[in-house]
Amino acid sequence: MATQYEIPIGAQHISLLEPLHFKFTTENEKIIKAEANVGYVHRGIEQACCSKFKFRQVSFVVGRVCGLCSISHTTCYSQVIERMMSLDIPRKAKYLRMLVIELDRIHSHLLCLSHVAENSGFEALFMKTMAYREFSMELLEAVCGNRIQYDYSIVGGVTRDLREDVARMILERLKTFKPQLDELVDIYGNNYTLGLKNKGVGVLTKEDVYHLSAVGPFARAAGVPIDVRNETEDRLPWKEVGFEVVTENSGDVWARNMVRLRELYVSMRIIENVINGLPEGDIALDFKGFPNGEAINRVEAPRGELFYYAKGNKTQILERLKIKAPTFSNVPSMVHGFKNNEYASAPAIIGSYDPCLSCTSR
Amino acid sequence: MTKIETTFETLKQDVKEFYKSELHHFITMNGVDLGNDEIEYQWFFCDYAYPCAETVFVTKANVNVMVPSIREVVEPAWVAEAELSDLLGIEIENAEKGFMLEVDSDPAPLRKKK
Repeated sequence: MATQYEIPIGAQHISLLEPLHFKFTTENEKIIKAEANVGYVHRGIEQACCSKFKFRQVSFVVGRVCGLCSISHTTCYSQVIERMMSLDIPRKAKYLRMLVIELDRIHSHLLCLSHVAENSGFEALFMKTMAYREFSMELLEAVCGNRIQYDYSIVGGVTRDLREDVARMILERLKTFKPQLDELVDIYGNNYTLGLKNKGVGVLTKEDVYHLSAVGPFARAAGVPIDVRNETEDRLPWKEVGFEVVTENSGDVWARNMVRLRELYVSMRIIENVINGLPEGDIALDFKGFPNGEAINRVEAPRGELFYYAKGNKTQILERLKIKAPTFSNVPSMVHGFKNNEYASAPAIIGSYDPCLSCTSR
Repeated sequence: MTKIETTFETLKQDVKEFYKSELHHFITMNGVDLGNDEIEYQWFFCDYAYPCAETVFVTKANVNVMVPSIREVVEPAWVAEAELSDLLGIEIENAEKGFMLEVDSDPAPLRKKK
């Protein structure tokens, strides 16, 4: 038997965007076992939401769970309260939520892709991807007022209407982005050197996905078509605006890249359809009363299924709020995906997991 | 959402009879402090099929009673069990301690203050 070494990565490491710790047991450079520690940034947000803030204020608190998928958190929270209180929000508000969710998905996926490129040693592609991503940040600021942590979804609707000039700007910028996305698909899909680093690396099979309950692009890259947007027509009319599930089959880093890139085409189509078919009317519902009872809700965040459970007691303060982030669901799969890979591949694999620790630890 | 009442004695068997990994995915485990040292435990699952149906197994128990793990049946449950064990300050069978909280954190932050 070869000598075994234990090698840690994190919690502070050049290949990690957030504090996350993996402990690898290696044998001849090959990872034979991995352990994860994800609890470095627990901030007690669930407890704060049930003790310090009124239920209408909680949208603004959960928007700070994560800078990258803030809109998914605020929308999921708003919807869980709307379900509990049986509120039917204006159709225009639903469309605007979908618009910002998809703009957010563009910037989040491009950040992940750039991170994979950097961790694979392709820094020029990292810079190119980050440069192309900038348009989505500017559009989010134009729509919501912030580049990240946009307080856009609130219980009953959204906070801002879409101005006509901003709508025009979005459509124009999408036209500019389309050839840039084609270029990225070509590089991530066909570059020989990147292929050596990404193909057949960090594989999660379809059986692994089922066995470990993986979610998001992680699962879809292995051929499992799990996507909350495919399931929740009653809350947001995704199919009406052209949603379709994207899957790949190889389950490796390359497949995760391709799923994310192909999903950007779907996001662009949804955004165009939302703007071209934006209904008239109010952007928020005026309502009275306090939440009572319990409800659950799920939203497809950029990293996968985001889940909220809320329990109300006819007061301003919630009894319990539970947040389950997609990265939290993917921890067992992340640990599994390292096995039998070279230690040198670990940074690229981590990048392709797109882990969000702010969400996971809350 | 379909609610299935269970007990600690029958939990593993109930989940085993229900759960097929190709048909359902495990969402998470949750606990709600009801006061008077009683906690409601919930295990959430969702179908892969469309239209998707959510199922929750529910039971209530005293805070001092050891909670059985469903990890033998649903392997990814260990993460949610470790987290809940820290945040509610409860004993869950084979759950890792210190997964979510540092050693110097206030224990059981999600428990109601007496």
